[in-house]
Order: sequence, then C-alpha cells, then structure tokens
Amino acid sequence: MGVLDGRVACVTGGTRGIGLACAKAFLDEGAKVVINGRDAKKAEASIAELNAGDRVHFIAGDVKKREDCEAIVHGTVEHFGKIDILVPNAGGGSDYAPVAQMTDAAMEDAMLWNFWHTFWTMRTALNYMIPQGWGRIMAMSSVEGKMGKPAISSYVASKHAINGLCKSAAKEVGTMGITVNALCPGAIETDEMRTAGPPAAEAMGLTYEGLLDVFAQQSAIKRLNECEDVALVAVLLASDAGAGITGSMISIDGGTSPY
Amino acid sequence: MGKLDGKVACITGGTRSIGRAMADAFIAEGASVVVNGRDEAKGMKCLEEMNAGDRAAFYGGDASKQATVEGLIAFTIEKYGQLDICCLNSGGVLNTAPVFAMTDEEWNLEIDWNLNHVFWGMRKALQHMMERQTGRIIVTSSVEGKLGKPGIPGYATTKHAVNGLVKAAAAEVGTLGITVNSILPGIIETDIVRETGPDSAIAMGVAGYDELIDMFCQESSIKRPNKVEEVAAVAVMLASDAARNITGNMFPVDGGTMPY
Repeated sequence: MGVLDGRVACVTGGTRGIGLACAKAFLDEGAKVVINGRDAKKAEASIAELNAGDRVHFIAGDVKKREDCEAIVHGTVEHFGKIDILVPNAGGGSDYAPVAQMTDAAMEDAMLWNFWHTFWTMRTALNYMIPQGWGRIMAMSSVEGKMGKPAISSYVASKHAINGLCKSAAKEVGTMGITVNALCPGAIETDEMRTAGPPAAEAMGLTYEGLLDVFAQQSAIKRLNECEDVALVAVLLASDAGAGITGSMISIDGGTSPY
Repeated sequence: MGKLDGKVACITGGTRSIGRAMADAFIAEGASVVVNGRDEAKGMKCLEEMNAGDRAAFYGGDASKQATVEGLIAFTIEKYGQLDICCLNSGGVLNTAPVFAMTDEEWNLEIDWNLNHVFWGMRKALQHMMERQTGRIIVTSSVEGKLGKPGIPGYATTKHAVNGLVKAAAAEVGTLGITVNSILPGIIETDIVRETGPDSAIAMGVAGYDELIDMFCQESSIKRPNKVEEVAAVAVMLASDAARNITGNMFPVDGGTMPY
C-alpha cells in the first residue's frame, strides 16, 4: 500500500536528476508515472533503472516548445487515462552573464525552459484536474526563486516567476481539490548542474568547485542537497495528506533561504 | 517497517489536537512517544486511546513552566534511553487583547508558553542531541508567525520569535546531524481554539467564534480550516532520516494563506 496508489503522475525532465528521483519515489508509493525528456536513448537507461514495468511510460519532448509541453500532458492522459500529479521539473539556463551583458537569447532561453514550460504544462494539466476535482502540481523552483545570485539573473528571474505563478494558480483552484506548490531546492549536483555549472561559475568569476562551495557555505548543513530530498517533499505534497498545503514555496535547501 | 522505527519522541501539548495527531502518526511509524499535557486525566485517556503499550507514556505539567519542559525531556531520556525527536508544540493565548489593552500578565504568559517553552525545550534537547550527533527538533509555529492579525499581538510576536529561534539554531547545528524546523499551520479547530476562540474573537473585533474561523478560511486558498493530520504528516516527514537535509525551514500547512 503506497500513499499514491492509483495516482498518475507526469514529470518533465524525468529521465535524470531531481525528476528521476521524483519518478522513482512516486512509483515506490504506487503511482503510474510518465517521464519526459528530450532524448529517447537516455530514457531507456532511466526506464531500466526505474524497473517498474508498464507503470512507467516515456514521452519525448522539448519543454521549450509549447506544443511539446501540451503533448506531454495530453499524452499522459492518453496513456494512463488521467493526470493527477504534475511536476514541471525540467529547467536550467544558458549563456549566463551579468545583466549588463545578458543577451535577449539567454533571457528568453531561461524563461522558456523554466517559466513558460511550467505555465504551458500547468495550464494543460489544470484543464484535466479541474473537471476531475483532484490534482497536485509541484513546480520546480529553486532556492534562487527566493534569493538571487549575480550573473544568473535569467535563472533567478524565471524561478521567481514560477513562484508567482504557483501562488496565483493555488488561489484559483484552492477549493477544487487541487494544490499548486513550488519546490525550492538548494544546489544539487545533478547532470544539469555539471553541464551548466561551469559556465555559470565562470560568469560569476568562480571555479565550478568554488560555486558549489558558495551554495554549501550559505546553507546550515554546509553541503549540497540531494535529489532524494526533493522527492521526499514531492511525495508528501502529492499525497492525500498534502491537501491542506498549497500556494507554498517549500524550501529544500539545507537552511539557506531566510523565508 | 515504519519511517521512525526505534526513534523516541516527546511532544509538549501532546494529548490532544495537533500534538496528539503527531503522537498518533509517530507511533504508527514505529516510534516511542512521551506526550505532555497539563491534565492527568486527559493524559491517561490519551494513553488508553493510543493503545501503544510500552511505546507511549505521559508526562504531566504546564508547558509554560521551565520545570515541566526540562522535566519532560529528562523523563523521556530516562525512560527510553534517548531522545530523537523533540516536538515543541504546546501554545496559545488565554485572555488576548489588542496592544493598548494587553495586560502584563497575559503578555508574560504568552511569552513563557509560546516562546520560552520552545527555547527551554530546544536548549535541553540540543544538549542531548549534540552529544549523539543526531536529532530532530520540530516547533509548532503558526501562520501568524509570518502574518499578524489585530487582537493577538502576543501570539503573532511569539510565533514570529520562534521562527527566528529555529533559523538560528538550525544554522548552529546544521553539520551535526540535527535539523531544526518549524511548521506553520493555518487555523485548525483544535480544542484550544474552541476553548479560547470565542474570547479571542472579541479581542480581534469579529462577531464570534464562527466568524473568527471564517476570517482565517477566507484568507486561505482552500477556504477551509486545516486539519491536524496535515500537520502530523509534515512532522513525520521532517522527523524521518530521509529529511536530514531539510532544516531552518518554516514549513507552511496553511492552505495557501501566507504570501511568502
């Protein structure tokens, strides 16, 4: 008996990192899960790792595209018959630079990847969740959705935007059995961090290790967070017990953000 | 296999409402629990209802008194040999009033009950937990720990204060295997709210108890009170080993009320 028995979840960016950890935790609690990613090849290894038979299904798609975002949610309903839990988790940034040098393309890329993807998947999912009178949306924000570091304004702004979106949506559907929350993890050394971290560090005038150390030193635990930390909270929010928690920006940051 | 197998918890104000829900949830997950309350008879009834045999005990006393809070922790360690989870949950108001009409007596009671009790318990628990390099401290704050309504200045002040205490303590022990968090529930129709709500409503300038509850509900997104089980579920999560990296948090359980 799991706390998510009978539930259907959809996790964007679900083939690795935080998304994969959420998918695994949902499966462990009895849910069926759609994982999305860009690369079907990578997904094969993830699906093998999840080892959940037909309770897991992969939908390829680039979350920077609206039609893909909508197709991921529609595809979840087509495959498993409904969508109960949405985790718009994919995200990142590119071409980091101080605001004075930030290009439009870099800002647009982060907004598409983080904010628009969250909006598109949330809108589509809510249109299924509202009629069924039950739903859980946990959008992946960040400790940087509350704070702000130099040279990653595109990431910071788009994560702050996700928090605002969640708060508004939570109020709209608060009496309909649907909760909408933002998860705000501290730095985690995911694949995405290993890819985007070094150039982000360079833009901040740091080494990659130095950047990770900045995050660790700002926390109370003086170390980075882990994907499983986020999955733990995601399961709680997705469960029936999470019915009274909405519109929140939940910190999973080892004691970093002050609020 | 429970998430808290072998753990030992103590809970101030644990015989009813939020504290009791925590106790029930902890026991269901395999922990042993000492519940504190003022009323011996309620304590015995609570133990009977929990029906957890040796895994539950009662420690009587007023949580606004230092001797009770420190005694609870000493009793728990003596009885079960350790303390893993310290829930500083008791709190409330007795005769609240707007600032201009607040008595020193009420103010001091609220400071002792809501703030000092948390400090006394946390200090004593940390001394034990730091030695063992493991522990969970969970403080019941409130949505009023971030907001502030008229007529409950002492409550709002002390609940803000415990959030500060939690953040500072979390930073102190963050590398020692100990987490310190607060949970911020929205309005819940607990026994204490039912008892003191009618008087509090007058102090807050609303017509009565029902209007008081409705005022909180209308500020939320869910337009209903929260439930003790919702708080208990968060407490179980924070108490579990898996939550080792979640600390210094003010965890909201307020149905979408607080803006931050």
